[in-house]
Amino acid sequence: MDTKSLPIREIGPHQKAYHDTPYIMRQVVIALIPALIASVIFFRQRAVIVILAALAGAFAGEIMAAKMRKRPVPLNDWSAAVTGILLALILPPATPFWAAFLGSFFGIVVAKHVFGGLGQNIFNPALAGRAFMMAAFPVMMTTWSQPFTLDAVTGATPLAAWKFGGELPSMYALFMGSIPGCLGETSALALILGGAYLFLKKVADWRAPAGMLIGTVILAGIFQIVDPANGSVMFHLLAGGFMLGMFFMVTDPVTTPMPKKGRFIFGLMVGILLMVIRKWAGLPEGVMYSILFMNAFVPIIDRLTRPKAFGRV
Amino acid sequence: MIHVREHKIHNEGFYETRYLPRRVVLPLGQHIGARPEPLVAKGDTVTIGQCIARSAAKVSAALHASVSGTVTDIKKYNHPTLGQDMSICIDSQGDEEFPRKERNVQAMTRDELLAAIRDAGIVGMGGAGFPTHVKLDSPKPIDTLIVNGCECEPYLSCDNRLMVEHTECILKGIEVTCRILDVERVIIAIEGNKPEAIKRFNSKLHTRSSSTCNISIQTMPSAYPQGAEKQLIFNTTGRVVPAGGLPLEVGCVVQNVATLFAICEAAYYGKPLIERMVTFAGSALAEPKNVTLRLGTLVSELFEKEVLKLKTDPRKIIFGGPMMGTLVSSFDYPILKGTSGVLFLTEQDCDLRSESNCIRCGRCIDVCPMRLMPQEFVRMFKKGRHEEMEAHYLMDCMECGACTFTCPAKIPIVSYVKTAKAAIRAKKK
Repeated sequence: MDTKSLPIREIGPHQKAYHDTPYIMRQVVIALIPALIASVIFFRQRAVIVILAALAGAFAGEIMAAKMRKRPVPLNDWSAAVTGILLALILPPATPFWAAFLGSFFGIVVAKHVFGGLGQNIFNPALAGRAFMMAAFPVMMTTWSQPFTLDAVTGATPLAAWKFGGELPSMYALFMGSIPGCLGETSALALILGGAYLFLKKVADWRAPAGMLIGTVILAGIFQIVDPANGSVMFHLLAGGFMLGMFFMVTDPVTTPMPKKGRFIFGLMVGILLMVIRKWAGLPEGVMYSILFMNAFVPIIDRLTRPKAFGRV
Repeated sequence: MIHVREHKIHNEGFYETRYLPRRVVLPLGQHIGARPEPLVAKGDTVTIGQCIARSAAKVSAALHASVSGTVTDIKKYNHPTLGQDMSICIDSQGDEEFPRKERNVQAMTRDELLAAIRDAGIVGMGGAGFPTHVKLDSPKPIDTLIVNGCECEPYLSCDNRLMVEHTECILKGIEVTCRILDVERVIIAIEGNKPEAIKRFNSKLHTRSSSTCNISIQTMPSAYPQGAEKQLIFNTTGRVVPAGGLPLEVGCVVQNVATLFAICEAAYYGKPLIERMVTFAGSALAEPKNVTLRLGTLVSELFEKEVLKLKTDPRKIIFGGPMMGTLVSSFDYPILKGTSGVLFLTEQDCDLRSESNCIRCGRCIDVCPMRLMPQEFVRMFKKGRHEEMEAHYLMDCMECGACTFTCPAKIPIVSYVKTAKAAIRAKKK
C-alpha cells in the first residue's frame, strides 16, 4: 500500500453530514415546484415568460459578477436558481421579459455580490429586486391580471380590493389560487405543500415562520375585533405574499438571524410589521417591506439573542 | 448534539479475539501529566507486568512491560498523537499471560486501593489519559460516580463488548471506586443503541446484593457527543460544571468502563495496565472486529500476521473515532493506553468536500454542546481577531467536531479553532 499518498494534515471530523449548500438550495427549488405549477395553471404562458426571464437574469447576474470579481462562476450552488424563482413568483403576470430579467439581475448583482457574494448579503436578493422594480416601474408592478385569461384584463388583487374598495373574496378562491395577484401569491395550497416539504426535509427551521404566523395572527385578530371591515385573520393569512414570505423568505438562512430565539423574534417582528403596513401604510401589501426592514436588524438580533455558553454565568 | 451514522458492529453473538504480539513499542507519553523516566536500558530482560518507567511527579502514570522479553532499544518511534515519541521497544520471548494473584480487596484500605491503581499505571482509557489515581484522590467530596458506557463515536464498539462480556468485572471496578470516593450513588450511563449491555447490567444488578453504593442504570439517547464529560454530567444529574472547571467541583467523577475494568484487574489480581480491547473498523477492512491487544502492539504486525485483512487500500487511517481521532500515515504505529479504535476508511467513507461560503444557517450554533457560536469563530479567525475569539469563550471549545460535521458549507471549523487556540497559547508564553 502506498503510504506516501495518505493525508497527514487533515483534521477531523473525517465524516460529515450528507447535506451541503447545493443540496439545501435544491430542496428549496423542489419545494417551489407546486407554486411554479400553480402559476402556470393560472397564468399560462405569461408565467412561463416571467419565470424564464427571472432565471435568465439571475444566471446572467452571477456570471457577470463572477467575471468582474475574477472568480469561478458559482452556478452549481443553485442559489441563483432560488433567487430567480422567488423573484418570478412575486412579480405580476403581465411583467415583460426585459423587466423581470432586469429585476433579477439587480437582485443578484447589487443585493448579493456587491455585499460580498453568497452568505454575505444583508437583504433578501429576490425582495430587493422586487423593491427596485417597484421604485423603477410602479405602474407595471401594480397592474394585475385575472387568472385563466391571456389578455391583460386587469383586476385588483384581493388586498387592493379590500384596502381601496372594501371587498373580500371567498376564502376558497384565496386558498386554491383563482384570484389576481403575483405568480406565486395566489395558491396557498401549493405554498403550504412546499413549506411542508421544507420542514420534513429539515431544510427550513420552523421558528421564523412560527413567529411570523403568531405576529400576524395577533395583530390581525386585534384589528378584526376592533372592526370586522379590517378583514378576518384567515383573509390576511391567505392573501398577498404572506404564505410565500412565511415559507420561503423568512426561512432564508443568509438574511435571517442564526440563534434559535433570534429567528423567532425576527419572524414575530415581520408578522407584526406587515399588518401595520397593510393597515396604515399607503400600500395594500406589507410582506416585502416588512422582511426587508427586519433584514437590516439581523446583526443586532444575533448579538442580543446569542446562546448562553455552557458553564458560564 | 447531533445524530451521526453509527457504523457499529451489531453482532451480539460476536466475541472478541486476542492476539499476542512478537514485539511491542511502548511510548513514554501515553497520559496527561509528567513523562515517566525509563527504569530499564537497552539489553535488559523484563518480565510481563514489570514497571519499566516511572515519574516522581504527582500527576503522572507508571508504564509496565506488556510482554516478557528483552529491551531491544529505547528510541523515538511513531506516536499516533505526538508524531514521534521516545519509546521502549521490547521483543517478546513467548506467549505469556500475566500471573494473576488474587487479593483480599475487602481487607484493603482506601489508601491501599489507590496505591494499587497507581502502581498499575491506570489512566483514563476513554482517550484522555488522565492518571486515575490522581482523579480518584479528589480534594472535594464526591457524591456521584458516573460510569461512561456511552461510546458515542461511530464505529467504536470495544466498550460495548467489554460491558457485555465482562459486566461482573466492571461492577467490581465500580465498587472499588465507590469505596475510594465514598459516593452516595452510581449512575451507569449507556446509550440506547447498546441494548444487550443494558440488559446484562440490569440482570447483574438484580442478582447481587447492593453492597456499598446505590447503583442505577440510565439509558441515554444515542447522540454525539453524549459521552463528553460535562454533557454527560448535565444529562444524568442536571449539574453544570463551571467553564474551565472540573467535574469534582459539582461533586461528580466520570469514569470510562474500560478504566473501571482495569481498576478491577489491578485491585483484585494485582494486574497492571498492559492490555486493552481495541475496535478495528472501516470499509477498507475485510472484516471489522474487536481485539484484545497488549499495549504497544504495532498495527503493522496485525496485518503481517493476518489478524486484520484489507479489502481495499484505505484513504485514511485514524486512531480513535472519525469525529475526534487523529490521522496517521502508515500502519507502523503502536496501540496506546487510550487507543479505543483504529479505523481504515475508504474514500467513500470520508467526506472530502471542500470549503465554501458560510450561508449563516446557524446549524453549528444549534448543535454546539458548549453553546458557543462556531460561525463567529470562523468569521473572526479569517480576520485574524484571535483575542476577540478568546473573549467569546474560544477556550471552552472541546473540539468535538459536532459543528464541523453539520456545516453544509463544509467549513473545517475545528481546524480554525485549533489553530487559533495554539496561536493564543503561544502568545501567552
